[in-house]
Amino acid sequence: MPSWLRKEAVVDDLTNPEIQALGRAVGLDIQEPELTEVAYSLNAILEMMDEIDVPGVNAVEPLPLILPTGEV
Amino acid sequence: MDRADIPHLSVTELAALIESKQVSPVEAVEAYLDRIEQLNPVVNAYVTVCAEEARRDALQAEEEIQQGRYRGPLHGVPVAIKDQIHTKGILTTDGSKLRADFVPEEDATVLANLKKAGAVLLGKLNMSEFALGDANSSASGAACNPWDLTRSPGTSSSGSGAATAAHLCATSLGEDTGGSIRGPAANCGLVGLRPTWGRVSRYGVDGACWSIDTIGPVARTVEDCAVTIGAIAGYDPQDPYTRQIPVPDYRQALTGDISGLKVGLVREFLDPDVSGVTAQTRDAVIAAAEVLKSLGAQIKEVSLPLGAMSGVVTRTITHTERVSLHPEWLRQRPQEYHHNTRVAFMAGNLIPAQVYYKAKKLRALIRQEVLQALNDVDVLIQPTSVGQAEVMNPQGRVGSKEQAKRALASGSFRGPYSLSGAPALSILCGFTSEGDGGLPLALQIAGRPFDEASVLRTAHAYEQATPWHERKSPI
Repeated sequence: MPSWLRKEAVVDDLTNPEIQALGRAVGLDIQEPELTEVAYSLNAILEMMDEIDVPGVNAVEPLPLILPTGEV
Repeated sequence: MDRADIPHLSVTELAALIESKQVSPVEAVEAYLDRIEQLNPVVNAYVTVCAEEARRDALQAEEEIQQGRYRGPLHGVPVAIKDQIHTKGILTTDGSKLRADFVPEEDATVLANLKKAGAVLLGKLNMSEFALGDANSSASGAACNPWDLTRSPGTSSSGSGAATAAHLCATSLGEDTGGSIRGPAANCGLVGLRPTWGRVSRYGVDGACWSIDTIGPVARTVEDCAVTIGAIAGYDPQDPYTRQIPVPDYRQALTGDISGLKVGLVREFLDPDVSGVTAQTRDAVIAAAEVLKSLGAQIKEVSLPLGAMSGVVTRTITHTERVSLHPEWLRQRPQEYHHNTRVAFMAGNLIPAQVYYKAKKLRALIRQEVLQALNDVDVLIQPTSVGQAEVMNPQGRVGSKEQAKRALASGSFRGPYSLSGAPALSILCGFTSEGDGGLPLALQIAGRPFDEASVLRTAHAYEQATPWHERKSPI
């Protein structure tokens, strides 16, 4: 198992009603037949991202949008 | 030469015949149009065939060559491009019903560059809807894999893989975000190069994920790939992220000499417990490393510990950025997307900002890890994919969270180079056993940013030392 992988995610799965509520916040009306698949897809991403536990990641500066001049 | 044989030539073989006036561009175009008419109904690689324009451009190329104005190895050569790339006056659908009537007013820079080199555009190639998801999401129906029509040609440049492998164009362009050039090249037994981010202009190419998208060739040989990337690479004032770094003559890099080249074999992607790689793919890549060693390269095992997370990190970034491209359509015209695209876009809309931001931070770490590895070696090698092309399922849906997690993890094979912006190439390195269908397996070769030449040199030396590229698809 990779050293950066936490044994289990801290986040709980979002329920279908919670997914629908999130959807409303961005103007989307999410109903079946999409709703359950959206829940599977989103919960998979959230769980896998939460399981990643790289020491010091919080202090990392994201990749700059504009690469510094001269960097190759 | 029999006209029907022309599509079986490589770009460089055809170019030599065109330059010496043994074959005319008009003959070449007619040969390809014949073949497209015969086989496109089978592989569904083309969305639009530009027969009239191709005949006109071929005639012009022929006249120029007759007048002694030969432009180089793409002059009069029939090519095709992914339907994500703008073509003046020609439909550009992005694989979507939502773009069913979009006709751009100008050519993308990459197409303008191909035309400057004298290439003749045969048409626009099928793709996954908005460069996302499976081949079935295309509004034109799925392109099929010429090695086995029931299997995926790879995505999202599905038509680029299918058309090139079926000899329906001499070379093609695809677009690679999380692996959309390398995947089709792997599934279809071809050579596909994702160039360094900033090496090739994205101007006039509909975005999938602006911070990761690249345009590159899908070709049948390494030399064809070198010719094609040479024509499209370079600074473009219309794309502020292209870099003012000279473009070398990539064909000159194909010396066949890799003695002393330092090659890093990435450990994690050969470990089935970490990556899920199949035994046949693993064995083929280890055998490829032995071939490189026999040619004088120094092989060293290297580690990319963060590589296995790159699939979900890539998808978190690409899903978030993709949905920002046309949020109104998702709200107002959701039923016009393919079901699978709609599900992916809806999920992408709901990714919390802090999760996206964490992915951007992890991207910085993964990039640092890849570049550090490339301080010690000239190129990195590993499998392009977990295994051979999978059987397509037109009714395929996200059946469980675990299934979704497996799909995210499989993107990790190509993720480190998408996220780091480094060039990466996929090349055929063997076939599954006959019992498993005799399907292509693929080796991935990655290099330092803007050092496509070393990647191509390594691939060419390997190609010339092995027989794999001599085997043709059944179609």
